[in-house]
Amino acid sequence: MPLENRWPHRKKMRVDPMRSKKIMRRRKRSFTSTRHASIRWIVFASVASIAWTAAAADWPEFRGSLGRGVAQGDAIRMRWSESDGIAWKAELPGRGASSPIVVGDLVVVTASSGARQDRLHILALDKGTGHIRWHRTFWAAGRTLCHPTSAVAAGTPASDGTRIVAIYSSCDLFAVDMAGRLLWQRNLAVEHPRSGNDVGMAASPRIIDGTVVVQIDCQGDAFAAGIDAVTGEDRWSVSREKIASWSSPLAMSVPQRGSREKTECVLLQNPSGLELRQAADGQLVWSWKGACESIPMAAAIGNRLYVPHDGIAAVTAATGDTKPAWRSTKLSCGIASPLAWGDWVACINRAGVLSIGNASDGLLRGQVRLTGPFWASPIVAGTTILAVNQSGKAFVVSTDGEPTILAENQLPGTFTATPAVADGSVYLRSETALWKVSPP
Amino acid sequence: MLSKTRRTHLQSTMNVPRLPVLTAVALAVACDVLFVPASRAESMPPQSVREAVAICYELAHATGSDGQSPYAAKTDSISSLPAAWVVPCLSAFVSATPAGANWLASGLDRAVDRLGDAVPVNALALFVGDATHATRARSLAFGWIKARDGARAAALLDSMLDDPALDLRRAAVEKLLVSVAQANETTQRDAYRRGLASARDVDQIEPIVEWLSEHGERMDVATVLGFVRNWRVSEAFDNAKGVGFAKAYLPETKEGGAVHTTGWKAIESADKHGGIDLNAAVELKKGILAYAVATVQMPHAGPAEVRIGSPCAVAVWVNGTPVMSHEIYHASEAIDQYVATADFHNGANTVMVKCCQNEQTEPWAVDWKFQLRICDALGKPLATQKKNAGGSDAE
Repeated sequence: MPLENRWPHRKKMRVDPMRSKKIMRRRKRSFTSTRHASIRWIVFASVASIAWTAAAADWPEFRGSLGRGVAQGDAIRMRWSESDGIAWKAELPGRGASSPIVVGDLVVVTASSGARQDRLHILALDKGTGHIRWHRTFWAAGRTLCHPTSAVAAGTPASDGTRIVAIYSSCDLFAVDMAGRLLWQRNLAVEHPRSGNDVGMAASPRIIDGTVVVQIDCQGDAFAAGIDAVTGEDRWSVSREKIASWSSPLAMSVPQRGSREKTECVLLQNPSGLELRQAADGQLVWSWKGACESIPMAAAIGNRLYVPHDGIAAVTAATGDTKPAWRSTKLSCGIASPLAWGDWVACINRAGVLSIGNASDGLLRGQVRLTGPFWASPIVAGTTILAVNQSGKAFVVSTDGEPTILAENQLPGTFTATPAVADGSVYLRSETALWKVSPP
Repeated sequence: MLSKTRRTHLQSTMNVPRLPVLTAVALAVACDVLFVPASRAESMPPQSVREAVAICYELAHATGSDGQSPYAAKTDSISSLPAAWVVPCLSAFVSATPAGANWLASGLDRAVDRLGDAVPVNALALFVGDATHATRARSLAFGWIKARDGARAAALLDSMLDDPALDLRRAAVEKLLVSVAQANETTQRDAYRRGLASARDVDQIEPIVEWLSEHGERMDVATVLGFVRNWRVSEAFDNAKGVGFAKAYLPETKEGGAVHTTGWKAIESADKHGGIDLNAAVELKKGILAYAVATVQMPHAGPAEVRIGSPCAVAVWVNGTPVMSHEIYHASEAIDQYVATADFHNGANTVMVKCCQNEQTEPWAVDWKFQLRICDALGKPLATQKKNAGGSDAE
């Protein structure tokens, strides 16, 4: 299934809830005498709710759908503060640098707590009210040391609409259903005893066509694995170079040679280069050697990758071309990942300068100086870029013409998590709290 | 199973977009035929407390690589427990693996969510108050009580200053110190001394030591935390391209830890956290390694935890026996970063550390140091050293 269709029937499958209730009532009358009626109804309601869920605008994984950081079409509010424009605020039971995700009517976020940060939390909040729908806690089986700027809950959870997978710096991976029922767990640091690092692991998982891809890059037992989203069992696992990186896997649909069909792939980045692997079986499709950054992850438009690499290098994946189409040192990334959308590429350098360039040739279109540092990656929402710095100042920057700061909005706290956007609402996560900024 | 007539009737009554609903129906039927009986059997509520506890023990033995397992269905079954069975089920934590503890917590958390105010707070309080129960079970139960009756949970902490559950102990120390915030100095001093005796977390110990020091007590953090401060340090050995980490140089080839340290440099750490700076003690150079040897006195024979922290690759021996090795360079540094259990003699024991520096050139990759302490399983320091007059104790 092409990645663009991973949320099927987004527009055409809207189910009238009242009509559904009538159907359910009729169905109930018909089936109450059957032995397993309740089970049938659970399955029916689940699948119907998936259809309903998929109809809503979601932000289901790190940097949104497909990990592109683009919420095009969603205009967001220009101005907000603690006392204005906030739909709700929720205090979290622990620390975290992970982004919230939005799935159906849930906002899901992870955290860790305790003196050793070994209590791992998954919380699902009501998107409308911010009230906690369910809250699950687990114990870490792996190491929980990390740098103070990161957190044990650094990787963003991911959802395919029926389940949520959450990973932590301890390399503990959990899958729960939308009601918080634990489906499976993997203590990857127990299976790979020298995996992880004490700076803190931060790569987020991706769910690609039923495969949960995890990237565990470290100086010890580095590996990547594709795990069956339903069963929690390995579909594939490959060793990786023993070198630390914190960038997350990127989902890509790659055309098959001589065919219109596309193969669902995952891009894995570390400081030595890129690997493109089939998501289903881990087979290597393409690789590229080059000194990539270890934290910001590549952006993509189709097959064209914009790789943080001594500035930005534009590389076309899954072709014989190993030479970048262009390279620009004026487009330079700090910690935050670059953006690529439409005709444009954007990035924020270590000095806090936001630069926008042409995606086709890398020529600089304009720059604007923001105030950093930035750990959270910027996102595109409508015709603006939203960039949130570490001290909670959110810059809304125009993407039309010369980049211009349209608004600066301050919230209290330390912000290292990339924002989420759904239905025009912005979800901002500080170290210990989650805010929903109302739509315009 | 659905009859054909009923299925047809159902389809005809659906005046909604067909595809998702028909898919739902098809899946429901498929599940009915193929899966429901098995899953029903797995998730049937237990019929007795004995059966419930047995299920919990099965969950407790899960491993973290089971993938999808019968455990999810088993958690469904225990999520429907009656209130009176919750405490007996907590007993299963006593033999729980890390993954098993999570399966158990998942099922019991859901049971407690469902029970709401019917949760047996009194029985849970008795369970939490008995320190012989599994620490994770008690911590979990404490959280349930705290969520429903904060005052009751706080009262439980009064007897937990020496609790084997470190999170409960930490909360008890915190409560003690907060309770004397407005008291006179004598009362505060008593509380801080008591708190120091109980505290095991560095971030809790440091402010206590600071307060007591400011109020006239002579103490320092390194001594309280029990860092081994007196060492003899070797000359540099080659570690170009990292080859030295796996290479057994002369100091680690001696049987029984009888390392000859003649000519080695005696070092006494003055660092707040007992750090031994090898750049200063040996040489400020990349791509080299050094050995450090200390003699420590243990109060009794038996196992104890060796806890070392270093930004560089390290290996540790106790009385000549390898204890641990970590070939990680400049990823982080923390107190108690690496922990391993070793057997010690009563009295004098020899600890040797091999600490390797790599050839990274970044300014943050200059540090070449370590700190080490020896503790019981809860973090209480055990090892002592005689005063190192000229380094003779370290031989």
